[in-house]
Amino acid sequence: MSQRQPPKVDGGKISRRDFLKLLAAAGTVMTFTPFVEWGKFLPNPRESNEERSKVVLPDGSQANVNTFKVNHAEAVVYPLSEDPVLNEEAFRTWQFIRLPPELGGEKNDATAFRMYSMVCLHLWCLWKYWPEDGRKRGECPCHGSMYDPLTGEAFAGPASLQAPPSNVLPSLDLEVDDEGNIWIKPPNWSPSGNGVVGYGRFLA
Amino acid sequence: MGVSSLSRDNSLVRLFKWIYAGFDRTIFMGLKFTIPTKFVSPLGFLGMLTFVVFIILGITGAFLMLWYEPILDRAWDSVEKINDTIPYGFHMRNIHYHASNAMVMLAILHMYYQFFSGRYKIRNEMLWVTGVLLGVLTILEAFTGYDIIFSERAELAISIAASLTNSIPILGPDMMNAFFGSGFHDFVLRFYAFHVFFLPIVLLGLMVVHFPRFLVFDVPMVMAVAGAIMLTGGVFPIDLGLKFDPNVPPGITVPEWYLTGLYAFLRSAFDKFTTGVAWPGLFIFTLLIMPFIDKYKKFSWKDRPIISALGITSIAQIIVTTYWGFYIDPDRTKSLLERLMIDPIFLYTVMVLLVPLSFGFTYLMIKIAKNAEANAKKQKPSEKNPIQLPAKWLYILFVALIGFQVYLNIAAYYAVLDGMKNYSLFLIGILMLVFAGMFHLYRYGRGLSKSNVEIVTTNKRKFIFPSIGGSKRKSLEDRSTSMDPSKIGPTEDNPLLSSTEKKDIPVPEIGTHKGGKSSPMYSKDTSPTDTRNADIDLPENSVSKTKINKQSQTSNLDQNVRSFPYDKLNDGQKRDDAFVETTRDGDKSTPVR
Repeated sequence: MSQRQPPKVDGGKISRRDFLKLLAAAGTVMTFTPFVEWGKFLPNPRESNEERSKVVLPDGSQANVNTFKVNHAEAVVYPLSEDPVLNEEAFRTWQFIRLPPELGGEKNDATAFRMYSMVCLHLWCLWKYWPEDGRKRGECPCHGSMYDPLTGEAFAGPASLQAPPSNVLPSLDLEVDDEGNIWIKPPNWSPSGNGVVGYGRFLA
Repeated sequence: MGVSSLSRDNSLVRLFKWIYAGFDRTIFMGLKFTIPTKFVSPLGFLGMLTFVVFIILGITGAFLMLWYEPILDRAWDSVEKINDTIPYGFHMRNIHYHASNAMVMLAILHMYYQFFSGRYKIRNEMLWVTGVLLGVLTILEAFTGYDIIFSERAELAISIAASLTNSIPILGPDMMNAFFGSGFHDFVLRFYAFHVFFLPIVLLGLMVVHFPRFLVFDVPMVMAVAGAIMLTGGVFPIDLGLKFDPNVPPGITVPEWYLTGLYAFLRSAFDKFTTGVAWPGLFIFTLLIMPFIDKYKKFSWKDRPIISALGITSIAQIIVTTYWGFYIDPDRTKSLLERLMIDPIFLYTVMVLLVPLSFGFTYLMIKIAKNAEANAKKQKPSEKNPIQLPAKWLYILFVALIGFQVYLNIAAYYAVLDGMKNYSLFLIGILMLVFAGMFHLYRYGRGLSKSNVEIVTTNKRKFIFPSIGGSKRKSLEDRSTSMDPSKIGPTEDNPLLSSTEKKDIPVPEIGTHKGGKSSPMYSKDTSPTDTRNADIDLPENSVSKTKINKQSQTSNLDQNVRSFPYDKLNDGQKRDDAFVETTRDGDKSTPVR
């Protein structure tokens, strides 16, 4: 080791041999760059179809503005799969809420509805909406995190102590057609978009 | 190796020898592989033990793969089936679980031993760096393992791991997508893939780099470790935990012991990235660069105060946080969050306080050790007092152990028949431990009977003791006239003894009973006039002189000599460093793992 010569200092000139070596190294790197894209094999692309999909209630019907009760919530599976096992997946369960009257739940448009991921941002239990007077909020049974139904932001419990984006529930954008049926718009699964299930969302 | 008709070997031995010779062209011959014929401290080959446990894990894991189903709704049920209904599934699972703990534990011990003995420097950097990576991967392997049971605890662990991964800036979310997929269904499947293939294959690859050239396979110690694993499995059979149900609040669970340290930091509710990624990352990084910042020329922990103090600090912090992670306020009137929360100021103050405390402790230890060393040098004839085990008792103990093992065999057989699963595991564990003890005793006795040697040469000392064999007296008489204790003097400090003396075998120190009289053990320092020996009964002709029997017959050259070149050891090295071999060019070479 001690025999190793110190590098020659020759005014920063690069020898022909070194230059060729550099080219070879660069070429090697370039050869493999197309395969970087193959890293996309790893993540599971969430089925985010370009089309809107129905809000299918537990009884199998599509949610409708005219029939869905005010200050009421249901668990909805999205994206709905053919496989019943996958439909049991906590990450596919969403709380579909029609807001209470004081928060504007009586309007017959999409603004009266909210759809949040039911996976609590703290430790992934399933929270749910409690419509009783004095509650009217999402509560997690595990460690008592509470969620504001209007924004999906945690305002109490351990989830509220987490740094953004892990204090706001992911939500889905809804739209209502002429017949009053409610649809889910194609989501953008990123923290700044619709959020990441189990991780959170940035409040716009 | 030619098979001679004069050979006393039977055909089976010849076959093995032929096969062994066939390995001459393989990579295995590049390794110096030793099966010690006498007891050696297991600290020197903890790495090999870790590897053996890894193999145990591989075998039991492969069997578990036959029944485990990495599917969201069936993972836990399949583990339950393995545990409860499949014959010997309980055993497989328990051995697998406890071996995983043993592997992490052995890896940590191995690391700290190498750290404090200073063997990680000077051309061993690559071994150290790969070793640290292996340790991290081992913990990841164990972590993915207990996650795929998909119990409540597993779900909590996964959710914490996912949120930590997500908290990494820039790369975090992509990594989380890659490693965890989306949703529990992906997690189970992916963690399974990581657990059974990705991580083990990387571990194996790193092991190839990590293997030093000198390996020790100590049969009794391997048996003892395997036995201890099963014993633990018998005493503490691992439970399944509750099946994860997102609608049911999980009880309070803590992660496995090797992660509770991290868990304590997480419970301080500080920023996730700092507590869960940056601190452990810093810890691992510090370990990685350790051999490059350790500029001490010497190896012993006593001669490297700062590095030793750093090691002690890390151990203290690991112990404190590990305990803290387990501790949950038992006051049930408080809210769950209050009970789980650790005050960050408190935690970090303690962590910082541990640093000066550890440095002070190390300073004290070094001082004490150096004092003891100096004292030992001053009072030169510090008689080493070995355990004296007469041959008669050796045989009695041996027979008793065999009897005990037979009894345990029968007991284990009936326990298995009765379906007392953990009891049988317990017994198998004891069986293996007893076998380990027996093997050790056998080896011990064999070492004695094979060598009618009265002088044992290590690098520094000579021990003179009688052998069991009948030739002993004769040889003593033969030598008594020709050798004088004063002649030992010049040779003993010279590591390169005369060629015949070099062949002497380091046999265990032992005295034997001879007609009710115990023969003494002579240390090299025993002078003829030493009054301390006067009260010991000696054969008349040997009272005045230290007897040396240099056996120069080749029969004496058994494996001991070839395996353990004690005589070649450097002067500066301690006895426990006996594994560090001196190569031809005099460089300190790679020690045994």
